[in-house]
Amino acid sequence: MIRTRTWVIIIAAAAVVFALLSIWMLSAKQSGTIAEVIQDGVILREIDLSLVTREYSFTVEAPDGGFNIIRVQPGRICVSEADCPDLICVHQGWLNNQGSPIVCLPHRLMIRLKEVTAVDAVSH
Amino acid sequence: MLKKLTTMAMLTAVALILFTVEAQIPTLVPIPGIKLGLANIITVYAIFALGPLEALGILLVRVFLGSVFSGAMVTLLYSLAGGLLCWLAMLLPRKILTKQQIWVCGVIGAVCHNLGQTMIAILLFQSLTVAVYLPLLMLSGIITGLFTGLCAQLLVNRLGNR
Repeated sequence: MIRTRTWVIIIAAAAVVFALLSIWMLSAKQSGTIAEVIQDGVILREIDLSLVTREYSFTVEAPDGGFNIIRVQPGRICVSEADCPDLICVHQGWLNNQGSPIVCLPHRLMIRLKEVTAVDAVSH
Repeated sequence: MLKKLTTMAMLTAVALILFTVEAQIPTLVPIPGIKLGLANIITVYAIFALGPLEALGILLVRVFLGSVFSGAMVTLLYSLAGGLLCWLAMLLPRKILTKQQIWVCGVIGAVCHNLGQTMIAILLFQSLTVAVYLPLLMLSGIITGLFTGLCAQLLVNRLGNR
């Protein structure tokens, strides 16, 4: 039998490790100006946020009949409205030229910044 | 046998109520996949008080009916993957934990639930990008698992092996 104190130490250690890992992973943010709107692994749209001059919105329909309304403003993008159960995608707010991807798990929708590959970076 | 079936039915009902009530609570942190997982209390309790197979039965019925009641069939796959991995992960510690360490099972279960959910998300999204939230989900699994695990511990202490 493993002593209770051992379990407490194991769990506390794991918590610290995961806390550090999350800080590391979420601070090592993607950066770029091209946002990709992806559903079910398929890229629906690529939007260069730095080239957006006026606000617009478009709707992405989910396979189950649901929807996400995506709002684009100069330099940033967000999900402004959706009918998914948890609305986490809406609460995640704006994604600008830096940040973690916006994810709607129920509708399998993701908005992320396109990774700038080494070749792109050089050509820039 | 009949008594066991009745207990299972009652536990399933309680788990469903917890699941439904929790779905009404607005999300506190806008991180995809984080939730309190109150129904985990019942899974942990059932696996110790009734046995692994009974716990699996309760889990499967709760996950299915929970999706039907909340009208969110789209989340069924996530719940199922999370629930099954959580159940599998609880089988092993069941043998090595003492009666006062049942709460540990809650932590292991919650962490593995989030792991299973992330794995199915990677499959569905066909992208590893969703995994950036994995460490955060593991951390939240530890915290919520501690809470639900301790609740299950209290339940076992108060109710015994009835």
